[in-house]
Amino acid sequence: MSATTTVAPPPHRLSRRQRQLLFRLSLYALLVIGAAALIIVADWGKIGRSFFNLDIASSTFPLIVTRAAKNTIIYTLGSFGLGLFLGLALALMKLSPIAPYRWMATAYIEFFRGLPAILTLFLVGFGVPIAFGWRFPGGTIGAGIVGLGAVAGAYMAETIRAGIEAVDKGQVEAARSLGMTQSRAMVSIVLPQAFRIIIPPLTNEIVLLIKDTSLFFVIGFQVKEKDLFTFGRDIANDQFNSTPLIVAGLMYLAITLPLTRLVAQLEKRNRASK
Amino acid sequence: MTTDLTADVSPSRADAAIDVRQLHKYFGDLEVLKGIDFHVARGEVVCVIGPSGSGKSTLLRCVNRLEEPTSGTIVVEGEDVTDRDCDVDLVRTKIGMVFQQFNLFGHLTVLRNLTIAQVRVLKRSKLEAEQVAMANLERVGLSEKAHVYPAQLSGGQKQRVAIARALSMNPAMMLFDEPTSALDPELVGEVLQVMRDLATEGMTMMVVTHEMGFAREVADRVVFMDDGIVVEENTPAELLGNPRNERTRRFLSMVL
Repeated sequence: MSATTTVAPPPHRLSRRQRQLLFRLSLYALLVIGAAALIIVADWGKIGRSFFNLDIASSTFPLIVTRAAKNTIIYTLGSFGLGLFLGLALALMKLSPIAPYRWMATAYIEFFRGLPAILTLFLVGFGVPIAFGWRFPGGTIGAGIVGLGAVAGAYMAETIRAGIEAVDKGQVEAARSLGMTQSRAMVSIVLPQAFRIIIPPLTNEIVLLIKDTSLFFVIGFQVKEKDLFTFGRDIANDQFNSTPLIVAGLMYLAITLPLTRLVAQLEKRNRASK
Repeated sequence: MTTDLTADVSPSRADAAIDVRQLHKYFGDLEVLKGIDFHVARGEVVCVIGPSGSGKSTLLRCVNRLEEPTSGTIVVEGEDVTDRDCDVDLVRTKIGMVFQQFNLFGHLTVLRNLTIAQVRVLKRSKLEAEQVAMANLERVGLSEKAHVYPAQLSGGQKQRVAIARALSMNPAMMLFDEPTSALDPELVGEVLQVMRDLATEGMTMMVVTHEMGFAREVADRVVFMDDGIVVEENTPAELLGNPRNERTRRFLSMVL
C-alpha cells in the first residue's frame, strides 16, 4: 500500500463524454433501424393504390376546392360569427351583477360544453323541427350553423370573459373618472383591449370549428352542400378507395396549418410586447 | 353659486371646492376612514401625506366616488356627491384624476386618449376636442407625441399625458393619487414640474404624495393622516418644519 495511490480508470470504462456520444448514436441507430424496418415491411404497392391513387385523387378536383372546401369555410365562418355573438352575450351575462343572468349563462355554458357536438347538431337538425313541426330555416346548413354556433358560443364565452377580466381595472377607473358610464367604458375601453388579448385563443377556436363542421353530415347534405369530409367520404365509398379521404385530409390541413402557425406567431408577438 | 350655502354654514364650506364631513369608510370589518373632516378651498393646493394604510388614497378616491363612502358627506363644487340622486358621471367630468399607474388607454393613440372622453361625454366636436387636446399636450410638453401609442412612452411621459388627458375635460379641480410613486427617480422631476405649473396657474389640487419637497414648495396646506384619521394639518413650513404631534414627528423622521 503506497502512500500516494492514483487510481487509473479501468481501461474499458468510458468517459462521461464518450457515454453521452454513445447514447446519442444509439438513438439515431434506433431511428434508422425503425425507418428501415417500416420501409421493408410495408406493402407500398397496396398503400399507394388504396391511399394515394393519383387518378382518383385528380378526379376529386376541382369540386373538392370549389365546392367542398368552400362550403367548409362558409360553415366555419357562419358558426364562428354566431358563436362570437353568443359568447360575448354570455360573457357579459356571467359578469353581470344580476344573479339570474349569471345562473342562466352558467347553465347554458355547462350544458353545451358537456354534450358532444354531434348530439347537439342532431337535436337541432332533427329534434327541433320534429317537435315544432317545421322545417329548419336554411335546411341542413341553417341547422348546422345554429347548432355548432350554439356550442361554439359556450366555449368562447369563457375565453371572452377571461379576456375582459384580464383588462386592468385601472382602465375602467380612468374611464369612469373621465365621466364615462359603465357601459361606455366597457364598449370603448375594455372590449377593444379584451379582444386584442384573446385573438390567439379565438383563432384556435376557429381551427376547432373547421374540424367540427365535419359533423354536419349527421343532419344530411344535399349534393351542392357537401363539406370536405362528406365529399371525400362519398367519393371514397363510390370508388371503394381511401384516396379521396386523404385528399380531403390534406385540404383540411391546408386550411388549419396556416392558422395554427398564425396563432403561434400571435402568441409570440403578445409575449414580446409585454 | 347658491346663496343658501353661504347663509348658515362656516365660510370654508361656501367656497370649498371639496368639503368632506365625518367621512367613514369600511372595507368589510376594517375601518379605513374613521370620521374624516377635510376641505380644499378653490385654488388651494393641499398635499396629503402619511404612511401606507393611513387611508389617504381611500379619502382621495371617495371624493370622486371611485370608492363608496360608508357614511358622511362629501360636497364637491356645491354638489353632494354622497347623495343617492347625484349624477356621479356628470360630477366626475368636473374632477380630473391622475393615477399612480397612469391608466392610459393602450389601444388608443395619445391624441385619442385625450379626445375620447371629450367627444363621448362632453359631446364636443372632433375638431374642438383635438384643439383642446393639442393645447394640453403643448402644456405638458408632449405635442410631438400626439400620434404615438402609450406603450412607446416612458413612465414620465405617460404620466404627463395622463395629466393632459384629465385637463382636457376642463375640470374645476385635479386629484392626484401618488402620481410619481411608480416612476423611476429621474423621471419624477418632469411630472412634478407640470404639477407645479398647474398650481401656479391657480388649479385647485388635492395631491396624495410622498414627495415632501413638492409639498414644501407648492402646497398651501399639508395634511398628515395616520390610521384613518387626520392627525395634523398646517402650512408646509409649519407641519414639515415644526410638527406638533408625536406621530407626525415620527413619520417625518422616517421620510425626510
